[in-house]
This record gives sequence, structure tokens and C-alpha cells, in this order.
Amino acid sequence: MRPSHFTEGMTTPPTSDVDLFADEVVLDPYPVYAELREQGPVVHLRKNDVYALTRYAVIRDALPDWESFSSTSIAFNPMANEALTGTSLASDPPVHTQLRATLTENLSPRALRGLKGRIEAKADVLVAELVEKGSFEAISALARAFPLEVVADLIGFTGHVRDNMLRWGQAAMQVIGPMNQRTAESFPIAGELYEWCSQVKASDLAEGSVGRGIFDAEARGAIPPDTAGHIIHQYLGAGVDTTVAAIGNIVALFASHPDQLDLIRENPSLVPGAFNEVLRFWPPVNAWGRRATKDVDIDGTVIPAGAQIAVLLGAGNRDPRHYENPDAFLVERNPVDHLSFGYGPHGCAGQGLARLEAHAVIEALSRRVKRLVVGLEVRVPSNITRSIEELPILEVIPA
Amino acid sequence: MKIVLDRPRCEGHGLCEEAAPQLMHLDDDGELVLDREEVDEADAALANAAVRVCPVAALRIA
Ligand code: HEM
Repeated sequence: MRPSHFTEGMTTPPTSDVDLFADEVVLDPYPVYAELREQGPVVHLRKNDVYALTRYAVIRDALPDWESFSSTSIAFNPMANEALTGTSLASDPPVHTQLRATLTENLSPRALRGLKGRIEAKADVLVAELVEKGSFEAISALARAFPLEVVADLIGFTGHVRDNMLRWGQAAMQVIGPMNQRTAESFPIAGELYEWCSQVKASDLAEGSVGRGIFDAEARGAIPPDTAGHIIHQYLGAGVDTTVAAIGNIVALFASHPDQLDLIRENPSLVPGAFNEVLRFWPPVNAWGRRATKDVDIDGTVIPAGAQIAVLLGAGNRDPRHYENPDAFLVERNPVDHLSFGYGPHGCAGQGLARLEAHAVIEALSRRVKRLVVGLEVRVPSNITRSIEELPILEVIPA
Repeated sequence: MKIVLDRPRCEGHGLCEEAAPQLMHLDDDGELVLDREEVDEADAALANAAVRVCPVAALRIA
């Protein structure tokens, strides 16, 4: 395996028998990440046959370095990588540059500015209702309900598509994992989403929606023919499950850290920083793929050309070399450079929308809620998105 | 030192403006305007903070 042209003094990275996708690891990856980080900035995981990037600095350098780390293997199984071929997510510049422009045309903060007021009003109505009720299950009633409604309205979905968004969005992320049982079971569901997106027409989407705007752009020739459906596919695939996870995490972390909620209640200007801290502390996506295009030297050890990379965003976010006291959840930290949206050319295209939604939820919660008393949190193992499955709120103490 | 903007890459996330409002702002159309491109020693920290926070790496120091 070892290429013969290694320069003198270069060594192979340390190895580990950790399985990144084992149930107990995906449920709570942070102890394992700490172990790998201590082994080195890059560790070869024999069981997954991947080279894991573990420390903040190496991850932040690797994400924008598409010449060394290609996006043609962002998934951990060949079938998913094949299915993603031709999307922005799985392309490298220069092709990526064009696809990205098309993708963000209707999703950039510029394009979304008109939505801010509506999103804030929606969050406030929903949170007010829940506070009034006094007890509720936070994942279905808030973490899922809110982004599903926002994205459905944004794209203009109606009818059975609305009902399928959650299942489809979950499956689209699940199949990014290695070819395990979770991935195998999710492929047919991800296929339903793909099928629907390849035959959706302008008239299937509500008038005045961003989805309709994407079709208008196609009709005008502003974006290439037959791309509208693919763009909608990416919005749904990348934008649902991640945002659901983030909002569930906001509720859970505020409930378990009432002192941190108090800080935001006293100082609403902490809202954006609090979201950054939620994302740093519990990233919706902890591990994401790349492929080494050549032998890559990382601090004197070599990743061989062609190797599958696992970029451990969640490990970098907890690196004590970069963040002081990294295992503490502190809303005043404002870690603006966290890794949870990626960084560089592929940096999350939907982060403007995610921020609008999350800021609106945090703002409404911190204005209306003093304490949340929670019951037992339920988690289900999942390949890529780490989220809470059930979070009963037993009692709300209103502000 | 000079702040350089890769215009096509900029999507208007506005995090740079939050980091360094003295040096740049988003205009009414959400387009980034560099109010000062040439920055001196005194503003180096601000300029670096703005570059660092850009989520799509559209800013650099030359
Ligand atoms: C908190 C919520 C979110 C998180 C944590 C998140 C995370 C990420 C990450 C880590 C990447 C980088 C992938 C890479 O480097 O290869 C990414 C890319 C992307 N995200 Fe998000 N995302 C979120 C919300 C959204 C939303 C709401 C949308 C759209 C409606 C969206 C659409 C996309 C797209 C289209 C890309 C691909 C960009 C490209 O390849 O150029 N995301 N996201």
C-alpha cells in the first residue's frame, strides 16, 4: 500500500480500531474524538478504512483545499457518491463554482432578506402556543414542525410532498454513511425524493415561492436547463434534517443550562453567538467525507493519494488547541469560526436560512421562557446527522 | 496591507461587517462594500477578524 516515493522522514499516521459509525460512537462521539485528537491530527481508522482529520487547524486548512481534498467522495459509500455526481456538493472547482452560483442565486442572504419578518413571526406564534400549553414533545412540536413549515413554504411544497419531507430529508443524510444496515434501509426512501425531484414541474409548487423562482430562472435561461429539480433536491437533502437537529439541540441545551439561558434573557444581543455555540458544541453533522487527490503531508505524516478522508467537524470544534475549555457550553464564547457549516467553497449554502430560523427560535424562547423542565431525552443511532429523537418538556416556567 | 474581496464568491452573509463595521458594510442590495481597502497597523486585527470569519473564504489580506 505504501507508495514508494515517500520523502525521507515522512511517517504513516497513527492507527486506531475505533468504528466511527458504531451505535455507541454516533450516539456520543466526543469521548472517542478526544482520544483520536490526542493520537494525532490525522489518524487511520482501520475498521472504516478512512483517514480521520481530528484537530481544528488541520480541518480548517483542509476544507477549502479542494486541490488536495476532493468532494467527489463526500459520502462513505460508492453508491451515494455515484448518485451525487453532478451536484454542487460533490463537485470540485471549476465546475463547482458554476453550480454553486446557481444554487445560491435563490438561497443567499441577499435572496432571503424578504423572509426574515415572516420567519420571526412564525417562530414567535409557535413558541407562544407551546408556552401556553405548558407541556409538549419538543422535537415533533418545534424542532421538526418549524423548519418543515419554513422550507415547505420557501420551496412552495403542497400536499403529499409536505408529508414526506421529514422522511426524505432523514434518508438523504443517512445514505451518506458507510454501507451499513441504516444506509441500505434508507436508499429506497432517498430514491423516492430523487424520483420526485426529477419530475417536479413549476406548477407543482406554490406561486410566489422560491421554488417557483428557481423554475422561472430556468425558463429565462439564467440557470442551465433541467437543473431546477436538482437544486430543490439539494435544498431538501441538505436543509431539512440538519436544521431539525440544530433546533432540537437549542431546546435541549437551554433546558440543561438554565444559567446560559438566563444570560441570553438578560442580553438579547447574545442570540447569534448562542447559535454559534450550539452548533460548535453539538454539530448536526459530525463527520463528512473527502478524497485525497495526491499524497498529502500533514505535520510530517502522509495521507496516501486516493484515500477516503473523514473530516471530523465535531472533533475540531472541541479541540482545546483552539477553544479554551471546549467541553463547556458557554453562550458568551461566540465561536464565529466553528466548523459546523464547513468552510470555504463548499461552506453551507443554506447557512443564511439556518441562521434566520435558529435566531428566530432562540429569540422567541429567550423572550418567553424562564425555565424548561425536561423528561428523558431519547436518541436513535444515525450515520451522519446527530439529533435528538424525543425530548419531552414536562413543564414550562414562563418568563 | 490590503483587503482583497473575491466578488463572485461573496454571498452577502455579512459576518465580516459584524466583525469589522469600520472597514466594510453591506449596501441596501446586500452587496459588500469595502469602505477601506488599505488598512494600517492599527486596524490589522479588525481586518484579520473579518477575513477569518467569512464562511466562504471570499476575503483575504494581500
Ligand atoms: C444548522 C443547519 C445546517 C448545517 C449544520 C449544515 C451543514 C452543512 C455543511 C457542513 C456543509 C458543507 C459540506 C462540505 O463541505 O462538503 C453544507 C453544505 C450545504 N448545505 Fe448546509 N447545513 C445546514 C442547513 C442548510 C440549509 C437550511 C440548506 C438549504 C435549504 C442547506 C444547504 C446546503 C447545500 C446546498 C450545501 C452544499 C454547498 C456546496 O456544495 O457548495 N444547508 N451544509
